[in-house]
Amino acid sequence: MAYRWGMVVDLDRCTGCEACVTACHAENNLPTVGADEAARGRAMHWIRVERYWEGEFPDVRVKFRPVLCQQCGNAPCEAVCPTYASHQNEDGLNAQVYNRCIGTRYCGNACMYNVRFFNFFHPQWEKPLQLQLNPDVSLRESGVMEKCTFCVQRIKAAKSAAKAEDRAIADGSLQPACAQACPAGALVFGDLNDPESRVARLSASPRGSKLLEDLGAEPKITYLHRQGWHESNA
Amino acid sequence: MKAVYALYTDPDAAQQAVEALRGLGVKERDIVVMSSEPFEEYEFSHRDKATWLHWIAGAGGVTGMVAGYLLTFTTQQLWPLTTSGMPIVSTWPNTIIVFEMTMLGAILATAVSLLITASLPSRLSVLYDPAVTLGYILVGVNRPDEPLASRLDEALAGVPGGQVKTVA
Amino acid sequence: MNRTRNNPIADDLVRPLFHTSVWFYGSAAVLATIVLCGAAAWAYQIWYGIGVAGINWPIFWGFYLTNFVFWIGISHAGTLISAILRLVNARWRRPVTRCAEVITVFALMIGAMFPLIHLGRPWLAFWLAPYPSAREIWPNFRSPLVWDFFAINTYLTGSVLFLLLPMIPDLALIRDRATGWRRFVYGTLALGWQGTTKQWHRLESGMQIMAIAIIPVAVSVHTIVAFDFSMATVPMWHSTIFGPYFVAGAIFSGIAALIIAMAALRRLLHLEAYLHPVHFENLGKLLLLMSLLWAYFVFAERLTVWYGNEPSEMAVFWATQAGDYAPLYWTMVVCNFVIPFPILTLRRLRTVTGCVVASFAVLIGMWLERFLIIIPSLSRKPLTYSWGSYSPQLVEIVLMVATFAAMILLYMLFSKFVPIISIWELKVGNQPHPPVETADDELAELWKARP
Repeated sequence: MAYRWGMVVDLDRCTGCEACVTACHAENNLPTVGADEAARGRAMHWIRVERYWEGEFPDVRVKFRPVLCQQCGNAPCEAVCPTYASHQNEDGLNAQVYNRCIGTRYCGNACMYNVRFFNFFHPQWEKPLQLQLNPDVSLRESGVMEKCTFCVQRIKAAKSAAKAEDRAIADGSLQPACAQACPAGALVFGDLNDPESRVARLSASPRGSKLLEDLGAEPKITYLHRQGWHESNA
Repeated sequence: MKAVYALYTDPDAAQQAVEALRGLGVKERDIVVMSSEPFEEYEFSHRDKATWLHWIAGAGGVTGMVAGYLLTFTTQQLWPLTTSGMPIVSTWPNTIIVFEMTMLGAILATAVSLLITASLPSRLSVLYDPAVTLGYILVGVNRPDEPLASRLDEALAGVPGGQVKTVA
Repeated sequence: MNRTRNNPIADDLVRPLFHTSVWFYGSAAVLATIVLCGAAAWAYQIWYGIGVAGINWPIFWGFYLTNFVFWIGISHAGTLISAILRLVNARWRRPVTRCAEVITVFALMIGAMFPLIHLGRPWLAFWLAPYPSAREIWPNFRSPLVWDFFAINTYLTGSVLFLLLPMIPDLALIRDRATGWRRFVYGTLALGWQGTTKQWHRLESGMQIMAIAIIPVAVSVHTIVAFDFSMATVPMWHSTIFGPYFVAGAIFSGIAALIIAMAALRRLLHLEAYLHPVHFENLGKLLLLMSLLWAYFVFAERLTVWYGNEPSEMAVFWATQAGDYAPLYWTMVVCNFVIPFPILTLRRLRTVTGCVVASFAVLIGMWLERFLIIIPSLSRKPLTYSWGSYSPQLVEIVLMVATFAAMILLYMLFSKFVPIISIWELKVGNQPHPPVETADDELAELWKARP
């Protein structure tokens, strides 16, 4: 049976530490653009932790919400691409083929989650940082769109390893960098087609909802709502 | 004698000249009229038969439509890639391409057949006189039959205002 | 006065081709310099990356797309209007058609440049074209950008033919008057036109078909440009009204551009005898109609959004109505309605000058409209954390100015090589009894002189 990769984000566990963001940068060869460019909206974070404040000072509460590509089933970003650079792959992921991208940036506009990023300039790494680049992930050139891939390089490796040993990928044995790095275990990754997987069971939780669900894009990421501590103690 | 023609300033005179030539028994297709504007309200400008241009434009449109259909509906199946949960062969968007190709076919067919049937591009015929674009109306006969030739001069000169010229 | 030997229509209209003033060379040099600056700006952008423009995350489309929609809109002046007037046989169209069609061709060429300029990797733009490639992948026909590619190419092909075919008799006229290299060039371009009855008949019936075919194409072009936006579920983009709204706006700005171009030609080439106040009067009425239609569309769009009260749409709605973009929004309303409406309604103000003033206002207003459709929506997508803002950078401004210069330069050059008013069509137009108000002394004399 084909895989259908999905994720659960437990907002109750997220502390907003941004370890996922850092891990993603390291794993996926994401360039840092510097403070000035970041201020102009050129920063690239395939996963970001959105912060929302509630209440008036001093009674302020902060809510964190990690947002990454929702790997939509009916992804609005795909059909608008004139060159099929953005399309659905066989595992239900929104694949982005960098070599095919001509940089119309239409996908970035069509994406309602704003999780697509553009290489406004040629990415650069200050020496010796180029030595820590991940050899499994291609570098993107200026003028190309990029986005979260659910660490497709790890998925590919796990699939070929499993195929060589003629077995399925065991639940929990495969994780994208963000989920692996999350100290609180807020990010759970797995195969939604396997009803016994952790991600499939958590996705069915009554606490679960999808981001901007009414747009009908069928995102594959489920957010688990926060609960008041008194309720969870009860 | 290769050709004989007369220049008129007045479209009514040109009309008379055409009729005079007909009176001599010159075949309709041998009578040449050249002018710097269409003169649609004169009979001599309606001697061309009705054209097939509308049908050719239609045929061009159908050709374009078929080309558009083949382009979209077949190439989508050559390497099926799913986007946004849409079917591999997406009729709604393809309709737009088919429409544009239809119109492009019709436009190109019209333009090409317009040029071909109007024999453009071509060399200027021996009959042509630059006075035509100055506003004169040229009425003439190309390669007239010998017995008729001598009488053509008189017929054309018989219409008032005509300046007859012959091309040897 | 003998019309044939002493042909004032042809003389007046051909004169600019043979006599060029110092002013022409001077202004052409200035404009060419600006165009070169634009080319340099583009080269700079390609070299350093498109990051030198002001676009950012999440406002991926900015000035370039605004100018794209604006210029494609301007292109609706010519061929569309000319085709409609040809079909309804409006007699006053005859001096207007060619100078309108030229706007279409050049505005389309300029407009079609912008999607290329805005590409991240413009050297790969040919991947939009359908051809069997080594990649074995054809363009994605589900993408509105591919629809654009087809629609603009069809419209450009049609418009170029629509302009060139009726130009042949005039080229023949110049061929017969010119000497030297001009005679060779115009002789080649005239394709051996002789003006036989058959040629005239084929030209007239061919143009009739072209006029019928080009109208739906013109409508489809701006509808598809609107689809670039309305196909995305972005707030205030995802609207069924966008197709007709954009088409109306395009014709609106197109007429304004036409009025300005005609007024400039009239003044600079001394064509007062051919471009009469009545032409401006008629086009002014058309502009008034489009201004009302524009106001109607804006009201329909705004009311629907306001009444629906959908939160993400309301964010964009209030940003334009009362927020950051409000000054631009209300300037647009003033330029597109408050200024042109009284000028064009009051007969006393609907003069040549009045129409030109209204037209300049409309051009500014319609440019702002395109800006206000694109940027506020992208800056206010539903996840409030990712809201953004946009300010244009020097490259974008230089390139924009350069395209205006390019338009004027191309128009000037064209009017130097081809009579900007169709000579033969004007002669035809003079045959029936002329309406009294269109006749000035010179023309009236001409008509009297007709045999």
